[in-house]
Amino acid sequence: MHDLDADLTDIFRDEAAERLDQMETSLLAVESGAAGAGSVDSLFRNAHTIKGAAGMLGLDDIRTLAHAVEDVLAGVRDTGVFPPELAAPLLRATTVLRAQVSGTEVPVDELLRDLAASMAMLSPGEAGASDAGGPGDGPAPTSPDDRDAGDAGRPGVAPTSPDDRDAGELDPEVHQPPAQRRPLRVPAEKIDRLLDVVGEVIQYRGRLVHSLGQAQLSHEVADVLSSGERMLDELKDTAIGMRTLPLTVITRRLPLAVRDLCVAAGKDVEFIITGAATALDRVILESLYDPLAHLLRNAVIHGIESPAERALANKPSRGRLEIRAMPRGSLVEIVVADDGRGVSPEVIEEARREGSLADVLARAGYSTAPEVTDLAGRGVGLDAVRSYVQSMGGILEVRSEPGRGMEVILLLPLALALLEALLFERGGTVYGVPLVVAEEVVMVSQTLTLEGRSVLEVRGRPLQVADVAELVGAQAPPLGDRSPALVIGVAGRRAVATCDAVLGPEEVVIKPLSPLFGDVEGYLGTAVLSDGRIALILDPAVLTRAQRRGAAMTTPRKAGPVAPKILVVEDSFTVRELQRSILEAAGYSVVTARDGRDALAALDRDTEIALVVTDLEMPELDGLDLTRAIRADGARSSLPVVIVTSCGSEEDRRRGIEAGADAYMAKQGFDQQALLATVERLVGR
Amino acid sequence: MPVRHVLQVAHLGDVTAVPGSLPQMLGLHNLRGQILPVVDLALLLGIPATTPPARLLIAEAGGRQAGFAIGEVSEVGELADPTEETESDLLVGATLAGGDLIGIIDVTMVFDSLEGRGSARPRR
Repeated sequence: MHDLDADLTDIFRDEAAERLDQMETSLLAVESGAAGAGSVDSLFRNAHTIKGAAGMLGLDDIRTLAHAVEDVLAGVRDTGVFPPELAAPLLRATTVLRAQVSGTEVPVDELLRDLAASMAMLSPGEAGASDAGGPGDGPAPTSPDDRDAGDAGRPGVAPTSPDDRDAGELDPEVHQPPAQRRPLRVPAEKIDRLLDVVGEVIQYRGRLVHSLGQAQLSHEVADVLSSGERMLDELKDTAIGMRTLPLTVITRRLPLAVRDLCVAAGKDVEFIITGAATALDRVILESLYDPLAHLLRNAVIHGIESPAERALANKPSRGRLEIRAMPRGSLVEIVVADDGRGVSPEVIEEARREGSLADVLARAGYSTAPEVTDLAGRGVGLDAVRSYVQSMGGILEVRSEPGRGMEVILLLPLALALLEALLFERGGTVYGVPLVVAEEVVMVSQTLTLEGRSVLEVRGRPLQVADVAELVGAQAPPLGDRSPALVIGVAGRRAVATCDAVLGPEEVVIKPLSPLFGDVEGYLGTAVLSDGRIALILDPAVLTRAQRRGAAMTTPRKAGPVAPKILVVEDSFTVRELQRSILEAAGYSVVTARDGRDALAALDRDTEIALVVTDLEMPELDGLDLTRAIRADGARSSLPVVIVTSCGSEEDRRRGIEAGADAYMAKQGFDQQALLATVERLVGR
Repeated sequence: MPVRHVLQVAHLGDVTAVPGSLPQMLGLHNLRGQILPVVDLALLLGIPATTPPARLLIAEAGGRQAGFAIGEVSEVGELADPTEETESDLLVGATLAGGDLIGIIDVTMVFDSLEGRGSARPRR
């Protein structure tokens, strides 16, 4: 009997949590003005069901509170008016109900009084009903324009997730009322075991195909093998499907969390979730909420500026916070993006030297805020998020543009055990990387050596080239003159890794490296291949990280006096980074600006800038006006200016020179050596 | 090594080195589809190895498994409880038998120290 009760309580918890999710989504919509009294029916039904079930199980506290919520909603239904202000006490009630449902005792007397008092908002003519349109007029759907006006200057969050709105179609399974679903409750371990066995069978198939590979097979045998393969693929997909759940399972709770944070931090933020139907391994989902909540907390508290600060920076006063999820092969990419202040240019510079922004920010205790607020705890804690992602066999990357925002990218395996890997060999050892990060395979015969760094031009961009053995720290005989190489791209950072042979893609069953290896870093795990060999699966960041600074120290230019500092002004990120890498490879120190106005600010900040390389066509202030502004300023009227532009006509050239540019170069047929020679001549080295 | 820790003895075979790990971690061995970490016992204990290891002594403690690369299994037999103290944290102690001093390996401590959790740090 007791077991039956425990089972029923479990089922009640699941169902109540789901209903509370739905209620919170509706209440947030009501609060932001996006929903009117029309949403009251489903709210009422959910509260009523929770009350009934709690009563049956003898959970009196829950029953009492759900009843009070139901009373308020009944009032809304009767008057046909749902004042947005009423959402706040109801959201407090759902929060408490959630705690009670999960077994925490919470005193509710005060809340019950608040709920009773909130009924006053429903009476015609009382304060608080002001936003809700004419009282007694029935449902008053608020137009989007009204909503914007009502929200201006008020901290809060508008849940405008397109997915959530379409979710009924996208993912009927999750959004149907709980009672209509008939899930079978199976212990998670059984499904885990099933997937393990499927993984082993896939390995076995690989071995079988490998051993049969030499023999000449009859058509019959080949047919049997290939139909077996189809069935096995289906079995695998089904088993993975049983272990995966849509991201909505955890993201439904996020809008409320973000709203609470915004209220506490005095921020005004639009929170958007896309791709919430993306499926992810259950084990990962169970533990993903905290890291995601942490990233959102950082974004709201450290990233997004206060409305006043944003106004000063010419940004819309309402910040934008986004979670985007999408499948990428056997991985799932989840991006947490904000349009806040981003990291400082100094941190970007540090990241360029050290290899990646994630490396710098994940150093314990690194914070982008000058002071640490109580809300975010101490430091940003990105190190904890990264350890978590790595422990799941995933990859964490960070992108940021100073003043424009930050993106944290989590690449997580769709299913913990299986990975589509690209395999390659170096020094007799087989390595692998997730297939999604391998952009292409190239042959490297000749590399440019620019100031001690090997560089290969791939599709017009110079990329760092390095031997896999060197990158992982393995012993291996030197590579030949022509070696195959992988172009690896992780979150916008690309590099070329050379090896002895590229073996090709293989679906592998990935096992974590034994803990006996202590704190060895850089491996996602290990895998047994179909030929019985063991592959080391690398964290691709190992292959894209900047090579040790030691190499650059030996180059003659770096050893000299301080490298001249060059300001690159260019609105295209790609061109800007291309010019930066060319100039840095030649030993210059580089700062960048996105347009003329940005450039003048940089010149004000940094008096060491010895030369300006600028584009012509740019928003805000173009290259000609920038050049004129520099020439007109006594303190820097002699600063050399090089114009690099796609406007290559004689007329343009004349206008550029007239504005006061020292040199004028066309982007068509862009010649690195010519740029470097011009720069060198002008800074007098 | 106490026999209760020993699962089996196998040929050493192919071992895949893991770059970046401690030198006493020889690498990984594929034991019928299971990936097993391989520890160089001589290096771990800091004793000179006279011959290259040829056999793999597969041991288990507290759910953790590893293969120890060894020269040869000399004998399986009863030993008295250790009577002698040893300097190494990785040994339970040592016992005199037939004129030889035999060190008894503390498998749990070996695993703990490799994981970086034990008081003893592996020798570099």
